[in-house]
Amino acid sequence: MKVLIVNNMAPFIWGGAEELAVNLQKNLVIAGHDAEILRIPFQWEPSTRIPSQMLLARTLEIANTDHVIALKFPAYLVRHHRKSLWLLHQYRQAYDLYDAGQTNLPPGQHGADIRKAIAHADNESFAESRHIYTNSEVTRQRLLKYNGFDSKVLLPPVNDPEVFTGGESDDYIFAGGRVNSMKRQFLLLQALAKADRRVKMIIAGPPESPADTQQLHAIIEQFGLQDRVKLDLRFLPRATYVDYVNRALAVAYIPFDEDSLGYVSMEAATARKALITTTDSGGILGLVQPGETGWRAEPTAESLAEAMSAAYESKARTRQYGEGAQALWNGLGINWPETVEALLK
Amino acid sequence: MKIALCSSFMPFIRGGGRNIVDWLASTLTEAGHQVEVVYLPELDSPPDILFQQMMALRWVDLKAADRIICFRPQAHLIPHPHKILWFIHHIRTFYDLWDSPYRDFPDTARNRAIRESLIDVDTRAMGEAKTVFTNSKVVSERLKTFNGVESEVLYPPVFEPERFFSAGYNDEIVCICRLEHYKRQHLLIEALSYTKAPVRLRIMGTGASPDYGIALQQKAQLCNVADRVIVEDRWITEEEKVEHLSQCLAAAYLPIDEDSYGYPSLEASHAQKAVLTTSDSGGVLELIQDGYNGYIAEPTPESLARAMDKLYRDKNVTEAMGKNARQRLVDLKISWSQVLERLLA
Repeated sequence: MKVLIVNNMAPFIWGGAEELAVNLQKNLVIAGHDAEILRIPFQWEPSTRIPSQMLLARTLEIANTDHVIALKFPAYLVRHHRKSLWLLHQYRQAYDLYDAGQTNLPPGQHGADIRKAIAHADNESFAESRHIYTNSEVTRQRLLKYNGFDSKVLLPPVNDPEVFTGGESDDYIFAGGRVNSMKRQFLLLQALAKADRRVKMIIAGPPESPADTQQLHAIIEQFGLQDRVKLDLRFLPRATYVDYVNRALAVAYIPFDEDSLGYVSMEAATARKALITTTDSGGILGLVQPGETGWRAEPTAESLAEAMSAAYESKARTRQYGEGAQALWNGLGINWPETVEALLK
Repeated sequence: MKIALCSSFMPFIRGGGRNIVDWLASTLTEAGHQVEVVYLPELDSPPDILFQQMMALRWVDLKAADRIICFRPQAHLIPHPHKILWFIHHIRTFYDLWDSPYRDFPDTARNRAIRESLIDVDTRAMGEAKTVFTNSKVVSERLKTFNGVESEVLYPPVFEPERFFSAGYNDEIVCICRLEHYKRQHLLIEALSYTKAPVRLRIMGTGASPDYGIALQQKAQLCNVADRVIVEDRWITEEEKVEHLSQCLAAAYLPIDEDSYGYPSLEASHAQKAVLTTSDSGGVLELIQDGYNGYIAEPTPESLARAMDKLYRDKNVTEAMGKNARQRLVDLKISWSQVLERLLA
């Protein structure tokens, strides 16, 4: 089948959605289809131009294509007789962010009109879609609440599961991903100071601001953790990141109330690593079963320290949790073959 | 510099107009620029859908780019304060092919009015450009005739031309391009039956349907030259192309009235091989000068046969013409450095 993936393009910006589209294309080809990506330029500023850009997407002629998979607003407004959506997000500033007072739409009647136009176009597009999938439960709930359309959650699979092979463990807990106050790497360091002195830690990923970097260095200084912590704060080459995961004793991921499972924890489970998280971390709790796949600590240094020490004390048990994490993850059926099959239904 | 390359495309149809865009993108990236390639779908028929698509292009917002370079129509309609055109062809059924069998809609008052408006819109969009380049004299002349627009010819190079080299001169004339009737490989086979020298022919490439390839095989039998012709109807890899061009005696390329000089004649010139073409081949004649870097025969088997005999018998002359072929590229400034210098001026 000739499958066209339709996505937005924020000119000169490359991010998670672009990466996902490329991996979807790759996996459609693996499944024996011809696949291409159409990227439609979209600028949400000034917001008064949003309607014309909606029309742009709506006006394009998609020929010579058997099936369309559209990902984002307003790209999913394209016309095609066989269109399914894998909704990464709607234009949130017309919906939940609007309600929260965080919109870029102009005040007064003008803004209300644009908002109405977005909702109308969205509803028409959702109604004409063959199937609607959403990338998380949160996105599903929003779509249901604001537009009245139900959808099926289709979590994005790990992009390159084959490299997360696991292997012999070192003595460090690994914390990967973006570094900022919401991801709470500082709390991990505070916990490490209270944990068994033999436990080490690697924190790796791009810091959001210089303040985030400074904070981590200050804590290391304060507790004298220099010998036990490695900070690798940058956008890591994929191979480096993979190596950190594969050699970890366990993987800690303690964001505050996140929507999704998180790539970090999905990749850790793929590599058979036990998981350490906190009771307020949101989506990742779906992967962390106490006594089976890892530890659900309270979001305090003391409670996290206990989990870290436990991971070190019985490595056999930690390994067993790792096996459990992989089994639980595999059982969710979040893989490319099944994802591609659903999207082509 | 942030540069957006804008063109139109038909999903799942590759090659042709996409090469110039993709190769330029690689070259610009290599030179340290940030490049975004914007391909939007375009359907040229029926005439009634042209204008809505043109409107869509007017809504494209690429202000994030420092400049945009537009290729295939109607990408030149995209607004931008620093717009450069590298124009490769009009929507030809409304221009030079109006009075031809290629026009698949009737000559009605309505369609004539659409034609007039289209030409008007094109002319205005060209007027917005800082500079208008074309890929050949033929296209430049059409711009002048139909739109009254002056332009500069900027010959498109092939990708990584340094791959091509000469390893000597055997007794084969090669023709590596798409296997289509309008490329007239059949004429080469007919010509072979009129040759007096034991010159050989190698025809490689593939086409939209297997019919023409089969017809060529039959023609070789019929003309009693099967022992001197190789016809390979399949996709030819770049490596194979380089290999055969490096060893051949000369190359042949005789399309009917083509817009540009055609990549096959360019590739042969890089491999220091003389090019055999015909007086009605259009843009190829911008590159090939009779007796200097190849032969321009009449499009008849007899005339082609005489040129083939000369290529075989006067081998010293053929080799010298091969050297001249490469010099001709230097003289016409067909190189990526020239392209970058002009486009970024």
